[in-house]
Amino acid sequence: MKELATIRFIGIRMSRDFITMLLLLVVPIILITVFSIILGEAEGLTGTPIRDETVVLLVLGFQLFGGAITMNYVHQDLFAERKDRLLSLPMNTRLYGFTIMLAGIVYSIVLGTILIAYTALIFDVNWGNFMWALLVITLMSSLSSIICLVFTFSVNNFKIAERLSEVYGVGMILLAGMFFPMPDNALINMFNDYVNPLMLAYTTIDQVRSGGLSDGWLNAVLLSVLIIIAFGLLLLTGRRRMP
Amino acid sequence: MTIFIFALKRILRDKTNVLFLTLFPIAAIFLPLAQEGWPLLPLGYQYFGVLLLFVSIRLTGIMIEDRQKGVVKRLAAAPISHFNYLWQNLLAFSVIMVIQTVIVIIGGHVYGHELYGPWNLAILYIVFTFTSISISLAWNSLYRSKESSFLIFMAVIVLMALLGGILFPMEMMPEAFQRIAVIFPTYWLSEGIEWIVLGEDRGDFLFINGVLLLYALFFLIIGSIRRIS
Repeated sequence: MKELATIRFIGIRMSRDFITMLLLLVVPIILITVFSIILGEAEGLTGTPIRDETVVLLVLGFQLFGGAITMNYVHQDLFAERKDRLLSLPMNTRLYGFTIMLAGIVYSIVLGTILIAYTALIFDVNWGNFMWALLVITLMSSLSSIICLVFTFSVNNFKIAERLSEVYGVGMILLAGMFFPMPDNALINMFNDYVNPLMLAYTTIDQVRSGGLSDGWLNAVLLSVLIIIAFGLLLLTGRRRMP
Repeated sequence: MTIFIFALKRILRDKTNVLFLTLFPIAAIFLPLAQEGWPLLPLGYQYFGVLLLFVSIRLTGIMIEDRQKGVVKRLAAAPISHFNYLWQNLLAFSVIMVIQTVIVIIGGHVYGHELYGPWNLAILYIVFTFTSISISLAWNSLYRSKESSFLIFMAVIVLMALLGGILFPMEMMPEAFQRIAVIFPTYWLSEGIEWIVLGEDRGDFLFINGVLLLYALFFLIIGSIRRIS
């Protein structure tokens, strides 16, 4: 199990990657700050402050891109510049790949937690139950990492995998109606209610925020089912491609 | 015109580029109308400026690639001036982006969008095209890696769009933000769009385009300095 011990070093490498830090921490902080100042205390139709809705969606939305960290490290270490060096080491590369995934998920959770703390402390955003929010962030980052790895293993060209991960992130945000309202279409509504991880995560946080823990379970379970399906795909594709 | 033709070929032989350059402008045409009176133009036309910024950073990326791969070094020893290399590349980028603008304007007209002054809108977008290309050129000159430049610029674009009044009406912003917004080219783009829908004095439109061209000139000067490595 020495492979799992490398998680510390992968974590150190990730924490020194200033571009990732900029894109997944600094940019959201700036966006959240600007949005919070602009939206102020205005209330939406449901009585929830619009700022709370927007900020929660933004933080969850950035979790969709967290998987890009994992896919980049897996690609660099197991398919590109460090491939030969790692293959010559006496360790299980599959377990090492799994360790990278774990490190990516933990890193993404840490960034998400910092964002939750920032929004709650500075702008008094209501996240409902903090531990529940943390659980949802964990589910989102796990799903994102697994899906991005499925993309990495499914196509031969890594550039295409990167584009697919962007399509996944931007597509879900688009379908959630964050850029502009989506048309009232049964298919889109069904997708948002049962498949779109962003909407599932937001709904579960919103339900816990307004009604208590028991109401948020269903969407969290749906999110977990998506993770299980994605993990199955990861096993199928990974087995074929992993060195 | 060898470099110009070669730049066009390089851009168009990349399948992702072709997809990016055709699909997104077409998608912009079909984006819905705003529901609450803002933005004044259909959403695709409000966000088209943001798309132009994305396209320009992607296109000008080939010039960083030239630096990374040592093409600029070899060109320095070849019987061709840096000025020639620069203007032919920029012309290729401009041609592609102007074509995109034409597609969006004609497409919107055919689709039946109310574009108020399609000619004025085309002029505004074309001027903004020059501004965005020169901003990207200047931005790229700060980096040695195409990927870093692109990723960080994506964040900058979002902030420029947000603070420049593309994503939110300026009236919603606090006064301090409204004052700061003037420094962003995106602010002048949104002002231009507002003029096209509501404006009367032609001088205002000329002023807006003048400011955008000044930005283009300023960033072109910064970005055109030759960097061998």
